[in-house]
Amino acid sequence: MKRSHIIALVIIAVAIAALISSLNDSSSYASLTEAFEQPGREFHVVGTLDRSEPIVYEPSVNASLTKFAMVDLNGRKCYVNLAMAKPNDLERSERLVLIGEADANGEFHAKDMLMKCPSKYNEEHQVTAGL
Amino acid sequence: MDNSIAYVGEHAWAGQLGHWLTVISFTGALFALISYVLYTRTQDLGWRSVGRIAFRAHSIAILGIVVTLFVMLFNHWFAYDYVWKHSNTEMPLRYIASCFWEGQEGSFLLWAFWTMVLGNLLIWRAKSWEGPVLAVFALVQIFLATMLLGIYVFDVKVGSSPFMLIRDLPENIGLPWTKLPNYLTIIPQFSDGRGLNPLLQNYWMVIHPPTLFLGFASTLVPFAFAIAGLWTRRVKEWMEPALPWTFFGIGILGLGILMGGAWAYEALSFGGFWAWDPVENASLVPWLTLVGAGHLMLINKRKDTSLFTTFFLSLITFLMVLYSTFMTRSGVLGDTSVHSFTGEGMLAGLLIFMLTFVVISVAALNQNRSDRLFYIGISLVMFVLGITLQVQVPAIILFGAVSIIMTVVAYRKGSFRRQEEEELLSREFWLFIGSLVLMLSAAQITFSTSMPVFNLLLAPFHGAFESLHDLTGWGWAHDLAQHNLAPPVEAKAHYNKWQIPFAFIVAMLVAIGQYLRYKKTDRKKFFRELRISFFGALLLTALCVWWLNYRLAEGNIVALLFASWFAVLSNAFYIPLVLKGKLSNAGPSMAHVGFAMVLLGSVISMSREHKVSRNTSGPVLSYLNKDFNDGQDMLLYVGDTVPVGDYFVTFKGKRQVGVNLLYDMDYFTAEPRSYSAGDTVRVRSMLFIAKNDHTAGNNFIVDQPDHWAPLETFTRSQLWNTPDWKPRRPGAKEFQLEPMVQLNPRFGNVAEPSTKHWLDRDLYTHIRYAKLDTAADGYMPARLYEKNVGDTIVTPTCVILIDSIRTVQDSVTISRLGPDFTVYILDMRVRDLYDEHRWFEAQPVVIYHNGQNVGSKGFDIPELDVKFDLESVKGNQVGLNVSEREFVIMQAIIFPGINILWIGVILMTLGSFVAVRQRVRKKGGKKRAVKES
Repeated sequence: MKRSHIIALVIIAVAIAALISSLNDSSSYASLTEAFEQPGREFHVVGTLDRSEPIVYEPSVNASLTKFAMVDLNGRKCYVNLAMAKPNDLERSERLVLIGEADANGEFHAKDMLMKCPSKYNEEHQVTAGL
Repeated sequence: MDNSIAYVGEHAWAGQLGHWLTVISFTGALFALISYVLYTRTQDLGWRSVGRIAFRAHSIAILGIVVTLFVMLFNHWFAYDYVWKHSNTEMPLRYIASCFWEGQEGSFLLWAFWTMVLGNLLIWRAKSWEGPVLAVFALVQIFLATMLLGIYVFDVKVGSSPFMLIRDLPENIGLPWTKLPNYLTIIPQFSDGRGLNPLLQNYWMVIHPPTLFLGFASTLVPFAFAIAGLWTRRVKEWMEPALPWTFFGIGILGLGILMGGAWAYEALSFGGFWAWDPVENASLVPWLTLVGAGHLMLINKRKDTSLFTTFFLSLITFLMVLYSTFMTRSGVLGDTSVHSFTGEGMLAGLLIFMLTFVVISVAALNQNRSDRLFYIGISLVMFVLGITLQVQVPAIILFGAVSIIMTVVAYRKGSFRRQEEEELLSREFWLFIGSLVLMLSAAQITFSTSMPVFNLLLAPFHGAFESLHDLTGWGWAHDLAQHNLAPPVEAKAHYNKWQIPFAFIVAMLVAIGQYLRYKKTDRKKFFRELRISFFGALLLTALCVWWLNYRLAEGNIVALLFASWFAVLSNAFYIPLVLKGKLSNAGPSMAHVGFAMVLLGSVISMSREHKVSRNTSGPVLSYLNKDFNDGQDMLLYVGDTVPVGDYFVTFKGKRQVGVNLLYDMDYFTAEPRSYSAGDTVRVRSMLFIAKNDHTAGNNFIVDQPDHWAPLETFTRSQLWNTPDWKPRRPGAKEFQLEPMVQLNPRFGNVAEPSTKHWLDRDLYTHIRYAKLDTAADGYMPARLYEKNVGDTIVTPTCVILIDSIRTVQDSVTISRLGPDFTVYILDMRVRDLYDEHRWFEAQPVVIYHNGQNVGSKGFDIPELDVKFDLESVKGNQVGLNVSEREFVIMQAIIFPGINILWIGVILMTLGSFVAVRQRVRKKGGKKRAVKES
């Protein structure tokens, strides 16, 4: 066996291992229903802030805990404990991606969150001008 | 497009000019392509002249577009969509450049600009390579110009023009206001633009994008030369001229990437300089393959041992630039990245751009004519089928498979295969291995970043994977069938798991590489020369392990530390040892030292960054979820002094400077606290009395036997009133930091960090939360407490004892207000929560009229920064509003050793340029020598 063949085999093995590991470590986008079917498994859940519920952030009680409610894309609602200080723009967010897991008590524990705010990049030009 | 209306103040000529210049740049590039292809095939110098004229025309047009766009931005012509979207009149003028490349169109323009500049340099320098190389450049410019055209071809929008008037946008066409000649003056929205995203109003955003895009543009040079080499059957000769360009690209792209890191570190509040974000990864991958390509060119100039890999890496580098452009700009990243662009209908254009260059690369690699024609034919069939039958995804997958097969065929059939085996202890063998490791590293990052692309590709196979799952019960088949893969939750851990071992191998090779000779190395000499560096690195690693307290489980990190130190030392010693101090030849060594320092700084700071801000109040977060972390954020009241790391911090207050709200934080040294005999302290729920005068140590358990006696009996109020044992107290003021919040009502407010730099570490602080709408008097919104007389209220700052309610209905009140009014006065005693000797009295007042609250008079205690307002009195029950003084939530992170990283960046860039200069000179020298002889 030539050395180049050994090298080629090692390279292929490492590449395959890397691919499988990437798939293995990857999380999934899921609906709340799926997340609550598998409590304890980490998911990315996409949804919107439920504006009918208050956002509770009491820094004097805990500076790293924000509680609010979200509605996922299927319309299911749940309460969220986010282990972060309240992001300044949470109220104006139009889309949330929560990264975390559901628990057996019906709450979602998010350790991270991505937010899309309407004005960041693609605010539509709105000209009403009363005409 | 009503030309009969004479619009006022629109400066429509600029848009017209810009549009026509775009058309000229497109046509110029098209003519240049045709002429240079014909020149390459016929070697007719006439075609070369036509090509040059066309490319020059194209260049002037691109320059004209750049100038026009700058003029539009500079003069605030808000009739234009691009100007309106990306600038406003308030913004400081120095950020006009950031506005220029904030948008999709502007950044394509920046890319086209640099490619144009490099193309002109190559016309001047490339000699016999001009034809094929410039043909490739012209083709790239055709695509980039297309991205800026913004025209409709058969109802399909091609590109997006920065010269669109808002009234010409498709969504506005036909609206009544577009028919008004003076719409700019009567519609208030046009008086000012939307402005620049506050994150980009930073000097790094003025210099980072041009550097990065120059790096991206320079990856085209080795690509073009590789194509040229295959095209003109000069499979080895192309490396000589491509080499300095490649190393120039390595230097610039590396600098650009790390400038992005510096921007993130200085201006963004995600806490660090690297987060394995898809957008960051997308720029790192081409750099890794470019480094591989450049180093393989060094070997293959001498020997053709890894010719195919050199071609492959040179080609894939530019393809990865296109792939990353596709990922970050087409919108496929969607939710996975916070700072990607949104689609804007670029997906199809970018996809065709990328796939065209895949076809060109694979076709060029196939030296057998019939194979090449077969491959191009298959690709065209896939393209046509994909579009006409609307089966794009299977067509792309099939195309990808055919491309891979044909690449393998090209390797097997072509003249790339090496005949002999290399020596084990030779430079070429280990450079080859190093390039393969870089390729694997790039592949791993690409896999993990490509989840959204996998999802798109998996979508049509939903049924297939689902039935596989039904048949076998394999969970992964079900997961793949759902095609909703998301990036790893623990991104850092995932990437580090793979990249640390790769980095270890690369750093070891960087350490020994220059000491290996081509062909055969003298074993004894090799080991002798490396001995000092090896043992020096061992020593320095041991020091690091001791200083930063690495544990056994962190073996991979320690290994990488060692390899990085080894690489730093061996390359630094190479200059006096082998080069005899000749600095003009020291470019590679310098760049290697810099690279190893970048690794070293990243490893130390990323593995030992720690948050010194802690959540000390309230329930422990980990009760909610095991992954929740308490050591993140701290609450700071204005005026408070609390420990943070090795310092004490005082939040002095905030002030507004322009659009920035600055939070003044004073930092004090921490001095050991002295206790004198008889002092009592609280530890958990026990009280202790000092036996003697002493200075507190770090740990109470250690201090206790010698200095403290427990109090056997004490009252509850004693327990309550006694201060906690604290080892340290604030000493002298050391420095001040000003983390800030940039106010921007349109884009949302943005926190910007403030960092204290020391030689060996940084203290990085940023505001995580602040109530910005505090009243002018500096109080937070009130909180209502409903209590009875005799109760105690404990707020985060004070203890309130409600003593009594007095009802005042004396003659003065009656004569002033009338008999229906009742005035209630609440008598309270208020104590500082942190000092049992500071007592104050407060008498807030409320006035009732026929049972209705009609007014109140609050009571301030400025010493305690607290304000009371009596809201209601019902018999014995009172409603009391308490407004606390202002607070912020801050996060503070220590980054040890981060300066090693920044010094490394500078050395790496300088080293690359010294190396390029020396290569160019050597070439020039050779030529002069030929001329003279």
